[in-house]
Amino acid sequence: MKAFANKNATSIREAVSLLAQHPGKALPIAAGSDLLGEMKDGIETPEVLVNLKTIPGLDKIRQQSGAVSIGPLVPVAEVAESQLLHTHFPAFVEAAAVIASPQIRNVGTVGGNLCQRPRCWYYRGPFRCLRKGGEFCYAPMGENRYHAILGGGPSFIVHPSDLAPALIALDAKARISGSSGDRTIPLEQFFVLPTVNVQRENILRPDEILTEILIPLPAPGTRSTYWKQMERDAWDFALVSVAAAIRQRDGKVEQARIVMGGVAPIPWRSHEAEAALIGRPLDATTAAQAGDKAMEPAQPLRDNAYKVALSRAIIRGALLRLI
Amino acid sequence: MSRELQNLSKETPRIDALERVTGQAHYAEDIYLPGMLFARVLRSPLPHARIRGIDSSAAEALPGVRAVLHSKNCDVIWSSGDRHGRRRLFADPARFVGEAVAAVAAVDRHTAEEALGLIRVDYEELPHVLTIEDALREGAPQVFPEGNIEEEVLRFETGNIDEGFRQADSIYEGEFVSQYLNNAQMERRVSLAQWDGDRLTVWASTQGIYNCQKDIAHDLKLPLGKVHVICHYMGGGFGNKNQGYDFDLTAALLARKTRRPVRVEFTRHEDFIAVHGRWSTQQHYRIGYKKDGSITAIHLKAYSNMGAYLRSHGNLQGPENYSSPNIRSEIYRVYTNRSCSANFRSPPAPQGVFAIDSAMDEIAERLQMDPVEFRLKNAIQDFSADKKPLTSNGLRDCIRRGAEAIGWAEKRRQYSGQSGSIRRGIGMGIGTWSGGLGPSSAEIKLLPDGSVKLMVGVTDIGTGAKTTMALIAAEALGLPLESISVVWGDTDQTPYSPGESGSRTTGDTGLAVIEAAKKIREQLLTQAAAHLKVRREDLALRDGKIVSSANPGQSWSIAEVTATNIDAISAAVTTQQPDDGSKSGKTRLSFTAHFAEVEVNLETGKVKVLRFVAAHDSGTIVNKLTARSQVQGAVTQGLGMALREELIWDGHSAVPVNNYYHGAKPMTHPETPQIEVIFVETEEPYGPFGAKKLGEAGMVPTVAAVANAIYQATGIRFRELPITPDKILIAMNPSRDRKEAVALPPG
Amino acid sequence: MKKEKQSRKKPAKGVTRRGFLTGMGTAVVSSAVLGPVLTSTQAETLPPTRPKGLEDISLTVNGITYSLAVEPRWTLAEVLRDHLGLTGTKIGCNAGECGACTVILEGKAVYSCSQLAVWLDGKKITTVEGLASSGDLDPLQRAFIEHDAAQCGYCTSGQLMSAKALLSRNLHPSREDVQRALTGNLCRCSNYNGIVEAVLAASK
Ligand SMILES: Cc1cc2nc3c(=O)[nH]c(=O)nc-3n(C[C@@H](O)[C@@H](O)[C@H](O)COP(=O)(O)OP(=O)(O)OC[C@H]3O[C@@H](n4cnc5c(N)ncnc54)[C@H](O)[C@@H]3O)c2cc1C
Ligand code: FES
Ligand code: FES
Repeated sequence: MKAFANKNATSIREAVSLLAQHPGKALPIAAGSDLLGEMKDGIETPEVLVNLKTIPGLDKIRQQSGAVSIGPLVPVAEVAESQLLHTHFPAFVEAAAVIASPQIRNVGTVGGNLCQRPRCWYYRGPFRCLRKGGEFCYAPMGENRYHAILGGGPSFIVHPSDLAPALIALDAKARISGSSGDRTIPLEQFFVLPTVNVQRENILRPDEILTEILIPLPAPGTRSTYWKQMERDAWDFALVSVAAAIRQRDGKVEQARIVMGGVAPIPWRSHEAEAALIGRPLDATTAAQAGDKAMEPAQPLRDNAYKVALSRAIIRGALLRLI
Repeated sequence: MSRELQNLSKETPRIDALERVTGQAHYAEDIYLPGMLFARVLRSPLPHARIRGIDSSAAEALPGVRAVLHSKNCDVIWSSGDRHGRRRLFADPARFVGEAVAAVAAVDRHTAEEALGLIRVDYEELPHVLTIEDALREGAPQVFPEGNIEEEVLRFETGNIDEGFRQADSIYEGEFVSQYLNNAQMERRVSLAQWDGDRLTVWASTQGIYNCQKDIAHDLKLPLGKVHVICHYMGGGFGNKNQGYDFDLTAALLARKTRRPVRVEFTRHEDFIAVHGRWSTQQHYRIGYKKDGSITAIHLKAYSNMGAYLRSHGNLQGPENYSSPNIRSEIYRVYTNRSCSANFRSPPAPQGVFAIDSAMDEIAERLQMDPVEFRLKNAIQDFSADKKPLTSNGLRDCIRRGAEAIGWAEKRRQYSGQSGSIRRGIGMGIGTWSGGLGPSSAEIKLLPDGSVKLMVGVTDIGTGAKTTMALIAAEALGLPLESISVVWGDTDQTPYSPGESGSRTTGDTGLAVIEAAKKIREQLLTQAAAHLKVRREDLALRDGKIVSSANPGQSWSIAEVTATNIDAISAAVTTQQPDDGSKSGKTRLSFTAHFAEVEVNLETGKVKVLRFVAAHDSGTIVNKLTARSQVQGAVTQGLGMALREELIWDGHSAVPVNNYYHGAKPMTHPETPQIEVIFVETEEPYGPFGAKKLGEAGMVPTVAAVANAIYQATGIRFRELPITPDKILIAMNPSRDRKEAVALPPG
Repeated sequence: MKKEKQSRKKPAKGVTRRGFLTGMGTAVVSSAVLGPVLTSTQAETLPPTRPKGLEDISLTVNGITYSLAVEPRWTLAEVLRDHLGLTGTKIGCNAGECGACTVILEGKAVYSCSQLAVWLDGKKITTVEGLASSGDLDPLQRAFIEHDAAQCGYCTSGQLMSAKALLSRNLHPSREDVQRALTGNLCRCSNYNGIVEAVLAASK
């Protein structure tokens, strides 16, 4: 690992100004379960690490009126064990529980999870790919069994986060703080396709950090779940995952949010699947139709067509859990 | 079992278990010497490239760097890196991504790593081949001028193959493919070298201290006596740490140059590609059979991808497991520009048995025979494939007892004709394990206080070899296990041992231990007779005491006899070629039958192994506790091989892309079923106390059993390993989702 | 608590020349590969090196408090092994992918290869060497011995520490609880059956 300086930030303000002081040379770090790996492999070579763990107050889960606030430094394990979150947001808790291993969940944070970098083996390997400022994405002509079937091009990474699909299905918002102030946006708008920015997965500017996640309390009748399909039964990234939040009234689906992981460069919201459900009863037929609809725009590469069938199956499976 | 054994065939915890559970077992990477430098290796990023020049001046100028070696300033042949001696310590040309190009020694590991980035190598890229198909193509780029196929083809022939096919009622044909996977032992490669004048000491992570010593001495042109190799604990190897390695030489040379102890460290990424893994194969079977279910001919034509050098034999187990009067097998070893293939636990077996036992299941099905019945009929019986009588054969007992334990007949019936998306199936496979006995040595000292020092040149790689040796000594001496302390893993302090591979330790070194123990016993009792003034014939050694047969009840402690000695009673034995039956023209084999029960989700492609039964005939089991964990571990590794593991190379650049644990995906706790182990302890006339080989047999038919179970569950025959969810899903959804790739061609 | 202050200097790397100098002067090596042996006067005098940018921290490991100066890039695993001599903690991947380096940090199992030591000022850590620090083996260690849970032993410290963290939360885990809690610990000897049996036995 290249030498660097560690700066313990004591406030959000200090953190963002440290980032602003070293443009292009500083990175924020939470538990480091992702970033240290990149640094050891020479993918990232920051000269300054801005340690966010020393900022007080960012590791709290707080119930507010109409919403629950999650600090970005809350460890994933705490999400997985929280009774409060379990009551309101099963999809979030289920997603947290299947992330990585106990050791990583014990330290890895919610903010780091949402901001983690792709696991594409070209990005992580000795290739100068688009994401690293190179000329092209190696996946379409290369080994692409784990790559994107939706929203791909010019880069075909899949977004690795398990929390992101769940939080987007739950309509969470993100607060972003930077040296020029704060803004709060729907988490869905936090992530960007490679057509927008081929080197980053989100809209954060170099001097900005994620400072809060707000999840609105769900309207009565809402149920949610997270289904993660892995190649190895445990301690693996998703081949495909789906978070579904459904509100039903009088036997009909009134609202549906279906967000997939492992299929696209961003957590992939399937408006097609949602449309297939709205106004209809949730049953085996509509669940299967939602899966089919979700996959209509899919464009698999040489080795990942299986993700299409898999996505259909788990969308259906997840929806059936919510009947 | 007819013999009465005091110490063997029981469950005995390892004698060094305490060190292992308290963090006190010192592995090579745990040794720190004063002034020690850290070294790292620079590796070729290209699969095939000549090296025009290397500029290491910037690296050498980095504060803290002490030495840089590369092909332009160090020309040493690493002999065990290639059976034909074509491999240099620092490559030129480099023949695979990951081949060593240079090495740096520096005051700490971070400085050494930074220095690697400062070495400028001017590569001239050469065309490369990655797969067997590529390598065999007309006009393919050549890995060596002599061509991409190793000149010597592995051939085996018995009977008359054409006649065998003429006698057949039907002929089966099938093609099977298996992939490269890495041993992925927990301990990364490491080597620490130190010179004392002209004497070299290497703390190696090795399965064979003497092989390591011999190879280092040979390659550095040093007398054997000047090379001292130590390995007390090592963190697994499964076949990939049995020789002197390039990094041992690198450590020695850097230590020489810097005049400081040098430790070479590997990253996990390097470990996955720079040493070796299991050879991938393409196997074509033609099998002739009759309506009555008997086999008339087996013809195997196969290719083994050996990677860039020939580091092992590339053979395959298969035809010899069945009694066919006519067998032909021809195995071509193919060179490609990728990491080397060599030994990984039962090197030729799991991929070979996957093929033949899948084929045999297919034939049984065509004949409408039950797979168990089919194997009971056709499995190897009284004679080996080369028509030698077997010393013992418990294979049919393994098949019967295994089948019974898993509830074969009932489950097989229950799982035929299922519907729905979750299906179950059971399957089986059979295997053998040979490997002759080799020369070996042991030395025993009975100290004046009655305690015993047993010196054996084994390293305990996790198989429990040290414990096994102590147990055999205790048994042969008639002394309690506690009185024996083992000296091991050090070429200066222990006699020769062939290295722990091929499951040899129990069989080979075990025999030497028995011989030495007999001599000790004899000397002790002779001394005792003189000392006690009784007849030698009236004395025996039992339960740690000298007892009188003339006067039952009378006994003496050993120290009573030996305490007057100033030195130990000692015996050193080298067994040249212990008889494994071959002197009387026989063949000695271990046998196994594995049974898997799986559940397959047709919609997600997920395979879950619900139950697994492993039945083994390895003769007498010396220590049931460690033997069972050996088998459970081997089976679990086999499950990973069946379901997931393969090293993947990018097709264009020949760069491996999943050379790390999270990409290789070895098995984890939650997925591992309870593995039921059955020992069929046949009466074996040869080998120590009738013990046969075990360590590797545990993985031989695992993959086949799983593949056959998946077939029963899905009705789809997977002929390519590993059987991953994507393959199952594609098979279940043929053509529906395949569209043209939206490709942006590179460059 | 026992206090043991260490000197703030990095352990003296690169100052002794023992090893090399022993027996020097009379040695003659005929090897063409190796080249001649240098005499001791030719031996390079090696200045002690001190890395720049060290930061002072104090760590309490197995009940002993150490004050030391660390480079920001040093991981906890590196510090334990290279600088505190606690080599029971192993490094299998250095990437959070194997579990060999598992230690208990403030009551929780973590990968010591993925923690920077500079972040741990004032923190409490237990390593495998701390399990039997009272002199008696931990019940887990006894069970590991009896159930042959250590084959090569390289993953063992990590397995023990994850199991210890589990049992301190849950005295009577089920088989599934154990498997789940130890998910982040690979064993390439694949001795999972034995390890689970041992943890269950220790929790009885
Ligand atoms: C072996 C392994 C397996 C894994 N498996 C999974 C899995 O199954 N599912 C999954 O979802 N994840 C997985 N992960 C990723 C894991 O790192 C995350 O889940 C973890 O939550 C990241 O949190 P962290 O605090 O460690 O992030 P860090 O490593 O500290 O940071 C990650 C990235 O986010 C940035 N960052 C961190 N916090 C902020 C912030 N507040 N504002 C702006 N930027 C920030 C950092 O600069 C960095 O680029 C795995 C990781 C490993 C090593
Ligand atoms: S060494 Fe830390 S997880 Fe592998
Ligand atoms: S005992 Fe060898 S890796 Fe677990």
